[in-house]
Amino acid sequence: MKVEPWVVLSFCSVIFFIGLIGVLIRRNILIILMSIELMLNAVNLTFVTFSKQLQDLGGQMSVFFIMTVAAAESAVGLGLVIALFRTLRSVDTDDIRFLRE
Amino acid sequence: MSTLTTIRPELLRLSQDQVGVLTPYFLILSGIILAILASVLKIFSPKWPVFILVIAACGAGVSESFRLLDQSPVLLFNGMMISDTYSNFFNILFLLAALFTSIISFRYLDREKLQHPEYFILLLFSALGMMLMASSLDLIVIFIALELMSIAVYVLVGFRRADRRSNEAAMKYFILGSAASAILLYGVALIYGATGHTQLKMIFTVMQIHPESTSPVFMLGAILVLIGFLFKVSCVPFHMWMPDVYEGAPIPVTGFMATGLKAAAFATLVRVFITMGYGRGLSEILQHRVHDLLWVSAVLTMGVGSFVGLTQTNLKRLLAYSSIGHSGYLLIGVIAGSKSDLSFAPGVFYLSIYAVMNLGVFIVLGLLSSRDDSGLNIHDLAGLSRRHPWIAFSLAVFILAMAGIPPTSGFVAKYLLFYSAIQADEIILTIIAVLCSAVSVYYYLRILVYMYMMEPMGSPRLLRVPLWTGFTVAAMVVFTIHMGILPAGLVDLARKAITSL
Repeated sequence: MKVEPWVVLSFCSVIFFIGLIGVLIRRNILIILMSIELMLNAVNLTFVTFSKQLQDLGGQMSVFFIMTVAAAESAVGLGLVIALFRTLRSVDTDDIRFLRE
Repeated sequence: MSTLTTIRPELLRLSQDQVGVLTPYFLILSGIILAILASVLKIFSPKWPVFILVIAACGAGVSESFRLLDQSPVLLFNGMMISDTYSNFFNILFLLAALFTSIISFRYLDREKLQHPEYFILLLFSALGMMLMASSLDLIVIFIALELMSIAVYVLVGFRRADRRSNEAAMKYFILGSAASAILLYGVALIYGATGHTQLKMIFTVMQIHPESTSPVFMLGAILVLIGFLFKVSCVPFHMWMPDVYEGAPIPVTGFMATGLKAAAFATLVRVFITMGYGRGLSEILQHRVHDLLWVSAVLTMGVGSFVGLTQTNLKRLLAYSSIGHSGYLLIGVIAGSKSDLSFAPGVFYLSIYAVMNLGVFIVLGLLSSRDDSGLNIHDLAGLSRRHPWIAFSLAVFILAMAGIPPTSGFVAKYLLFYSAIQADEIILTIIAVLCSAVSVYYYLRILVYMYMMEPMGSPRLLRVPLWTGFTVAAMVVFTIHMGILPAGLVDLARKAITSL
């Protein structure tokens, strides 16, 4: 079965926006981190699809770099969550209100 | 599958002059590696060796970049990076910001009992990310450099681990920053899909040959990339993170963010704009969309920066709003740059002037603050001129420069910026900018009123100014006044940097 590129691309954009909405409305920091990963992986899939469609390897190369950066980012993110949990005893964004808005 | 076959082995080898222009980057990288090695040696306390290594790497990098300032442009790594006057100009700026931040951080970290060598290493990593970002010609390289710069700064913002405010600031900055990076990256992916390239010059060529490739997909991609950049320079409506992050971050880090990060993001934005042919050769529709988007953002940014700043009493938050306002003025430089005969030079000049005065303010605030970054309310400045006339004087010079009052450098910078905006027929924008600038003078002058006209409250704490910090501040004051009276040298340099693009 052949999947049309536009199907995959629309799928990617849906995943990307699910991630974006997740970052904006979810209250648990761990779920927000997962949403950011979702956004980055939607981008990866977009790159791969375009790469296949354009018959150009550049897009697939980019995916490796993005995956590496995403790994570094989530490592730092989890570190920050642990540091925050030590002082705040919570991973809920509603409790993050020490700085005046 | 054309990419693999087009890679020729001679492109993977570096020629003599390519190695030559890469020296600043190699110096910083070797500084980082040596500092990491020195920090794990348990024989002696790692604090001095790491500090000295970082200072030496920054100093050597600055002198190398000065040497390369007049070099003709050299393309590197298959056209993914370039070393020209523009990139070396900004390398000097970033490395000086890192150098001064390290110098003032050393005593700060001692005071806060946070003397970990990782601080300086992260600072250097961030500076390396900025250097790579301002000299890259490929959207993927820009993304990686942006992340290298940002991830290091996320950690630096949260460096006061036991302090809840610092943790909160780091978390907010991390979440919003990585979401913005993901948006930028999605834009890159869409541009790649529309044109088949991630290299800026190739994208421009494709757009020239096939104007129809400026499809909705490309348009959306370009706008998403722009949103990513607007977030990094904290333009309205993507500015919400900035006051919180500025308040929570350790003071030297706040100073570094206000100078280095902002300069890096703007430098890259200008390079992308020029390379993509903004103002000459970019398709009409895209040009209009981008212009309108930037126009609205600039007006809102200046408005928020000057009006919301009026109600702030915490100095760090006040400076955050001032920084948002300055982002708005810098956007004017970007908007007007394509149509005035000064090109983007006023923006570049403004960036370097702004970096010096901002760093100066944060150094002085670092001196005035007490433990845990407290004592930074505007009321704490009351009667400062009587206790410490010289500190008050230098703070006054920096604040006047920020407000844009002659004979300081801030006036010349604003004058050039508004001059180029009028040349580009942006009359309404200029009027709004002048009005916002007049409003913001109110909160700048309030700082001076507190320092010079209020009686001191409570028992004043006596400050000891370390010799090096004193020298640094004095040099910055002299620079700020000197550039207000004789700006021609730096203006010429900024023009040369822009024409090298």
